[in-house]
Amino acid sequence: MPQRKEAHSVERSTSEPVGKSVRRADAYDKVTGIATYTDDLQFGPGLYHARLVRSPHAHALIKRIDTSKALQVPGVKAVVTGKDAPEIVGMYLVDRPVLAGERVRYVGDPVAGVIATSEEIAEQAVQLVRVEYEPLPAVLDTEDALAPGAPLLHPNLGEYKVANFIFPEPGTNISEHFKLRRGDVDSAWPQCAAIVEGTFRLPQIQHVPLETHVSVALWEASEQVTLWTSTQSPHAQRDLIAQSLNIPHGNLRVVSPYVGGGFGGKAGVTMEACAVVLARAVTGHPVKLRMTREEEFVGTTMRQSLLARTKIGCDAEGNLLAMETAYYFGGGAYNDYGVNIARAAGYSCTGPYNIPNVKGDSYSVYTNLPIGGPMRGFGMPEIHWGIEQIMDQLAEKIGMSPAEFRRRNCVKSNDTILTGMKIPPIDLVTCIDKVADAVRLGEKEQPSAPHKRRGKGLAIMWKAPAMPPNPGSSAIVRFNEDATVIVEIGAQELGQGAFTVAAQMAAHALGVPYEWVRVVSPIDTKYSPYEWQTVASRVTWSMGNAVKAAAEDARRQILEIVGAYWGQDPSDLDIKGGKVISYKTEEEQPLQNMVIYGLPNENFEGWQGGPVIGRGSFMPTYVTNLDFDTGQGPRAVVHYTVGAQAVDLEIDTETGQVDILKIASAYDVGKAINPDLVMAQIEGGAVHGISSAFESLRFDEKGQPLNRNLVDYRIATAVDVPGEIGGYFVETPLEDGPWGARGVGEHVMVPTAPAIANAIYNAIGVRFSDLPLSAERIYLALNP
Amino acid sequence: MMSMHTIKVTVNGAAETLSVPSHMTLLQMLRDRLALTGTKNGCSAGECGACTVLMNGEPVNSCMVLAVEADGAEVLTVEGLADDGHLTALQQAFVDHNAVQCGFCTPGMLISAHALLHRNPHPSGDDVKEALTGNLCRCTGYLRIVEAVQDAAEKGGA
Amino acid sequence: MLARPGLPSFDYVRAAAFNEALRLLGEHPEARPFMGGTDLFVRMRDGFLQPPIVVDVKGLPGMQDISYDSESGLTVGAAATMNAVAESPEVWAHYPLLAEAAASVATYQLRNRATLGGNLCNGSPAADTAPATLVLEGRMVLHGPGGRREVPAEKFFLGPGKTAIQPGELMVAARLPPPRAGSAGRYLKLGRNKAGDLSIVGVAVLGFPDETAPSGYRFRIALASVAPVPLRAAEAEAALASDMPGEETFASAAEMAMEAASPIDDVRASAAYRKAMVRALTLRGLRDVWAQLASQEDG
Repeated sequence: MPQRKEAHSVERSTSEPVGKSVRRADAYDKVTGIATYTDDLQFGPGLYHARLVRSPHAHALIKRIDTSKALQVPGVKAVVTGKDAPEIVGMYLVDRPVLAGERVRYVGDPVAGVIATSEEIAEQAVQLVRVEYEPLPAVLDTEDALAPGAPLLHPNLGEYKVANFIFPEPGTNISEHFKLRRGDVDSAWPQCAAIVEGTFRLPQIQHVPLETHVSVALWEASEQVTLWTSTQSPHAQRDLIAQSLNIPHGNLRVVSPYVGGGFGGKAGVTMEACAVVLARAVTGHPVKLRMTREEEFVGTTMRQSLLARTKIGCDAEGNLLAMETAYYFGGGAYNDYGVNIARAAGYSCTGPYNIPNVKGDSYSVYTNLPIGGPMRGFGMPEIHWGIEQIMDQLAEKIGMSPAEFRRRNCVKSNDTILTGMKIPPIDLVTCIDKVADAVRLGEKEQPSAPHKRRGKGLAIMWKAPAMPPNPGSSAIVRFNEDATVIVEIGAQELGQGAFTVAAQMAAHALGVPYEWVRVVSPIDTKYSPYEWQTVASRVTWSMGNAVKAAAEDARRQILEIVGAYWGQDPSDLDIKGGKVISYKTEEEQPLQNMVIYGLPNENFEGWQGGPVIGRGSFMPTYVTNLDFDTGQGPRAVVHYTVGAQAVDLEIDTETGQVDILKIASAYDVGKAINPDLVMAQIEGGAVHGISSAFESLRFDEKGQPLNRNLVDYRIATAVDVPGEIGGYFVETPLEDGPWGARGVGEHVMVPTAPAIANAIYNAIGVRFSDLPLSAERIYLALNP
Repeated sequence: MMSMHTIKVTVNGAAETLSVPSHMTLLQMLRDRLALTGTKNGCSAGECGACTVLMNGEPVNSCMVLAVEADGAEVLTVEGLADDGHLTALQQAFVDHNAVQCGFCTPGMLISAHALLHRNPHPSGDDVKEALTGNLCRCTGYLRIVEAVQDAAEKGGA
Repeated sequence: MLARPGLPSFDYVRAAAFNEALRLLGEHPEARPFMGGTDLFVRMRDGFLQPPIVVDVKGLPGMQDISYDSESGLTVGAAATMNAVAESPEVWAHYPLLAEAAASVATYQLRNRATLGGNLCNGSPAADTAPATLVLEGRMVLHGPGGRREVPAEKFFLGPGKTAIQPGELMVAARLPPPRAGSAGRYLKLGRNKAGDLSIVGVAVLGFPDETAPSGYRFRIALASVAPVPLRAAEAEAALASDMPGEETFASAAEMAMEAASPIDDVRASAAYRKAMVRALTLRGLRDVWAQLASQEDG
């Protein structure tokens, strides 16, 4: 038999793998094409396909839908409209009809679904559905949405179910308003030696996962419903869809194989509820609904736009004294998830700084544009864009270096931050030092040609996982007869390495080699233990705690069994390399077989032990709500991850093109469970961050998307990669993190755009308050 | 006029005879008719490269090739790279360098890189980057992919 | 209208002979010839085209051939792929500018399908091979019911999406006359990314010694993406023929090239930026070609 060379070769044996750069658990499957994604699942000839009828108007009433011609197309099985499916769905604010009801609120809003025997037939029939609209004035700009007398996009806002920490303002287009009041900014301004004010605008951008959204739903006559889907949130989707569609939780099963990129876009509920209501119309047949790339740009979720008005002041020594800021997030047509982004931006509104006097208002605003939802950074990239530029400007005004200004003012361990909580220990100063050194910040270096200008810039960041107060994780650890280990989790592998670090943590806590551990995939709510969502850079920490607990639970059971068997105290025993060993007698007991069959007494007079199953669960219990008027409270968030990025770039003054020579990133991750995978996040995040600074979704004056394909929405390609990407991590342990670990998956792209903006200013003395950057804008700024 | 065609195509070394409609793409044929789901659909417009396969030794976006055009052709997909479970040097390099995250771009990347190493056994970093411009990745930032390709080249493999 | 998930249905015929192809195209007014499909398929998915029949002409005699002889010059079959052109020893040896232009199109995978003929026949003002074809004085060989005819490149592009191809005609080849002795060329393309993009601006510069020119040299400059058609910058060319080559002349010619451009604002770039980039790229192209010419003389 030829030897298989695979990532998970049992020839390799890595003990105590936490902290080691073991190979990814899923790499073999992904390089051979074996790895299964949702669109790869085979359902046989009974599979139906669905396509959606989408609104051509940004805002309109639906007067009439005529499905008769569509129904006549051979192969069409059903057409479902909002009348047939009046349900609404939503994460924190239940504001989104599964299919538009009385009105449409963005170009692309789904109005009906056609189910047919093939995708092609469904698409033909979609073209034959006749919808009569009465266009309404469209609100395409956040400021227009806020203006008095603006058309109300959600007149019934006051009646929507809403989480108790979200505060919409009925009678307006404001779906969330978070207030932060600390100290007294009015009396602080006069004490400032330098004040900088700025208005910053960011457009909507899209996640552009390589795998578009896709779901297959099956509604059986027995009322059992199964949803196969590419999602970060199998359990949350099950919960939200069950509630909206009145399906008993136990009757709804969500199965999610590998996800081809999430970045937040596959969190919460996007088009999956649609797939389920369509399946309901053709019980007994699975129905596939797959987004084309164009639909991905229009009809899934986007990062919110932001209008920020920020004013920050410091004294002559460079100590920050006051900050006043208003963040208006353009949330798009439905803000069910986006409201929490405004909230998170509110309670973190200062960025990673100690500022004694703060007045912050953060709003989520409805607009007739595509749905704003979670995207990597969850409000942090958006607000740091302005904050980090103002900090540079303040530093310049008082004659301090950008790095020194940050070192002086950045949050430090146990500081009391803007909401009144103490920040658990972190080390942002070392992060600043590392990146500043890496690019020799402050040292003016020669450009590579006379027509180029070289500049360096720094930006720092913080982000807390933005979650409800009670997000739980759970895990099961069990065994095969050969002592290989099965770990069951609800956290998803999006590419970040969740399955790999889960296996590492289980192996380490148990005492077996990493290569013995397999994480079960797909995630399946029927079998997988509960996980709130794979978002917020939370799973290494939260799922990790649950996995560690489950492995320790199994370990404890094993040591008790063997302890009793040997007549020894379990505290004198250990598991190493897959064997129980005694420190007292040096006896050994391999785990093989005993973890299932137990151990026989002498002469086989009875047995001891039996199948070992470890269980673990973790939920933070200390997060509190915050005061509605002041945003103050004992514990706003679980913890923060902090970091810094520095950029060294060149600008071609003849074309405006930017060349990133080097980008250095440093993050305090608490403990790098897999250092190489942390580096992989740093690299990927740096490139994503750079790309995001040049991306924007564009719309015409009617709200029609102008660049809804990859031809005109350009993302970074292999030749756009910076010359050098440096990554460093600092490890200040998180008290309740597994081995001290904290997440980093989003943080890696938070400071990138402002670091670039600061470097551009350093190079050519031009400040950009608005995104996206482009060679054109830079050129025209140099040549007005 | 012809709306259905009987074609003979060799896919990963196996001869297949299929009846395909004119407008079926090679991508659809591979995924839906031959259940070779390793090749991915990322955009159906020739922009993302997730559907890259070799056709007569040349990398093409299979979403932009008609199945009927593959009549008489040899097609190689990601499933055809490894030899009976033995990873190629390139695949092993992707594994060793953690050049894989979500994995959705990986099959197309491997095919494009495989073709590159055949026409240029010792590519520079810039050569690799240029050759992979047509394979988008949103996760890795490309660095490790480039390193993996050069590593495989050094080991004399593809 | 969002693009559909797949292609609409159509009949496909692989034509075996020119008269079969022409007959099929003539019988069905909405029939389309098909070579690489990189433009056709996109438009079909986007709903702009729904041809009932697609006629595959890339296998017709000579359509993929690339040949050169010193008397008649280069003949490139309309169905030669961009990679075939970019990697052809004949093209590299005698018309490296054309190879450079072909190599700048899209991505490697698309260049294995996109054809020179398709790039030219679509009549897009952004076609990357059009400027090179213009400065190299190319001629398009068309085959129709009346037989073959040739249209010079400068008469071929009539407007966005419009060329001199008549209904019932097919482009079968592009022909370039033998290159001028000592000629040097450069194609510069600006996109939104460093590679793989459509051009925001494309500039082809060709230069060669010519004792009939007062300056001793003739330059030809052609621009893509900055007017309804790809076009030559005649005024700039005239100035370069008469004035002494050097930085001042090049700068002035680049200004004239900029004046020749009449770009629009679109989702990719503004007219103002495009105009400025015509000047920037033309100046770079002239400097580069001049350096090539100078080194030829030295060597």
